[in-house]
Amino acid sequence: MNKTNRTIWEHPWGYEEGFYVAIGIALSGFLLQISIGNLQLVAFQYPVNLIFGLLFIGVLLLLHFFAKKSAIVRWLSSVHATVPAIVVLLSIVIILGIVPQFVAHASPHDIPHNLSGLFGWYQMTTSWTFIFISYFTLAILGFTILKRTRRKFTWQDIGFYLNHVGLFLAFFGGMLGSADVSRLRMNVTEGSVEWRAADERENIVELPIAIQLDTFMIEEYPPKLMIVDLETGKVLPENRPVSYVFEGENKSTKLMGYNIDILSYLPNAAIMQDSLNSFAVPYHSEGATHAIKIRVSSEEMKDPVVGWVSNGSFMFPYSVVYIDKETAVAMPVQEVKKYSSHVQVFTDKGDAKEAVIEVNKPLTIDSWRIYQLSYDQSRGKYSRTSVFELVRDPWLPIVYAGIIMLLAGSFYLFIVGPKKKKS
Amino acid sequence: MSWDYFIYFSSLSVILWTIGAVVAFRTNKRLVPTLFTVSGLIVFFLFILGMWISLERPPLRTMGETRLWYSFFLPVVGLITYERWRYKWLLSFSTLLATVFIVINIAKPDIHNKVLMPALQSPWFSPHVIIYMFSYAILGAVTLIAIYYLIKEKKLTDTNKLMEMTDNLVYVGTAFVTMGMLLGAIWAKEAWGHYWSWDPKETWAAATWISYLIYIHVRLRKGVSNRTAMIVVIISFVILQICWWGLNYLPSAQRSIHVYS
Repeated sequence: MNKTNRTIWEHPWGYEEGFYVAIGIALSGFLLQISIGNLQLVAFQYPVNLIFGLLFIGVLLLLHFFAKKSAIVRWLSSVHATVPAIVVLLSIVIILGIVPQFVAHASPHDIPHNLSGLFGWYQMTTSWTFIFISYFTLAILGFTILKRTRRKFTWQDIGFYLNHVGLFLAFFGGMLGSADVSRLRMNVTEGSVEWRAADERENIVELPIAIQLDTFMIEEYPPKLMIVDLETGKVLPENRPVSYVFEGENKSTKLMGYNIDILSYLPNAAIMQDSLNSFAVPYHSEGATHAIKIRVSSEEMKDPVVGWVSNGSFMFPYSVVYIDKETAVAMPVQEVKKYSSHVQVFTDKGDAKEAVIEVNKPLTIDSWRIYQLSYDQSRGKYSRTSVFELVRDPWLPIVYAGIIMLLAGSFYLFIVGPKKKKS
Repeated sequence: MSWDYFIYFSSLSVILWTIGAVVAFRTNKRLVPTLFTVSGLIVFFLFILGMWISLERPPLRTMGETRLWYSFFLPVVGLITYERWRYKWLLSFSTLLATVFIVINIAKPDIHNKVLMPALQSPWFSPHVIIYMFSYAILGAVTLIAIYYLIKEKKLTDTNKLMEMTDNLVYVGTAFVTMGMLLGAIWAKEAWGHYWSWDPKETWAAATWISYLIYIHVRLRKGVSNRTAMIVVIISFVILQICWWGLNYLPSAQRSIHVYS
């Protein structure tokens, strides 16, 4: 520690003043939050966010060029300002990570009325505390970059610029752009064309693009068998549920001490019920389900039980094989391996695109990206409806430029490492 | 390959790593410890590879599968630092820590099956998680150094070398944390429509990243003691643990898409 005879608030400022200033900024945001509540993102949409962004950078540049001798401006570009600011930012991010978050458009009635609610912690990213400390950190980042430009450029500066300019672009672009992101949900039925979508508040919006759904397909993983507790519905053993993945006929397995023999399998079946049991028969039409005939036996059981197990469909009930009064062999709903939509997309400019959209493979058209979001869950693999999400984020190029610079900067950090210290 | 073989492969690896770590104390030549550690790593990686092939997907989905990679990368980092700075004790500590995670995997095995939900079927999945596991291993090793420093502070003669090693490892670890986080952001844009949603996992990843940035910036200028810097390393690692598995127990994470199955 280098001790000086400086008293607090006497320049040059150090960490102590840094903490006072950073906490003071967070506190002013906090007071504003208590008096007026969260920022309404709608109020920050284009062009307000653009004007604010330009003003912000303008003020940074003005101070940089015309107040360069000011001790405060110089301090703002030092680690003595940086470290306290990011320590306070970290504390707020930790609160954000602990308190459950509500979406920005949540109804005020849904948000709990307690201290956390008053402090804006349930929607931290639109709370003034978070906004104030974020822009303060951005200002320090900006001043730090500007100060470095005064130095003669050497190749060692490349890492500094990639990381700091990259972070500034990604952080600033993300903060400003958040109000302009549109996320819309569109349901399209096979064989029809749709151009209306619902926004996050369930308002219907007409779009400049239309989607025609030609086919929708679902691929499932093979069916599984498991033993369930009939009273609780839980899979046994409760602490570590086990299951058997169906691999074909004439195989055997052991679950919870019971021998299970696979007698036969119907990939397309109807489930019928008589007065005593349910059973499966072949059925080759929409609504058909999987059914597996099994024999369950064990040393404790007097006689083996034989029956059909199925997870049913929107047309047929499920079917289990009872082992005793408490337990039965059941087939859970199959996990989905893949679902995809074969579509044609048209724009009002007359463009048309044919594509297969699936999870992780969105389609980009004009400034929109179209994502496979969901389908009609109640009909499962017979769903004739595909649910898409359409996303537009005009600020994305700025954020991506930042992300790419940061990626390059992290490579630099990895290859070059810290500056050698003169000991 | 099935999980039943894990105990054999991992035991053999632990034996090879232990021999390597013990021999490192007995000799100043690096060849023999290196050979033993590398053979242990090969045995361990063969198991990972076998699981990958038999599961028909990268073994990165469950908590136990991420621990598998962590136990693999720890001796890798131990070996790199041993080759670079000749610290013998780090090889022993990384072996010990890897063994702890192997024992957890033997005592509390996961259910392994081929199911991989559509959101995870992406070319970004493996690089994202593997890069993160590698960074976690580096930052785990540097945490051991920090603890070692704090315990032995008064007896240490050359603190500069230790601080230099800590700086280097935090830089490399943070570089990989940054890459893991950004690849995650690019992937999120492809899969969920937005690059950053403040999902609890993302929030804690940001907290971890910010915390290591504090260390890096504090070390740029004099004025903060080595002791404080080492405490920042330890706090950062605690935040990292919350990000990795601790958040499954937090109220915020009940709806997260990142909670491991």
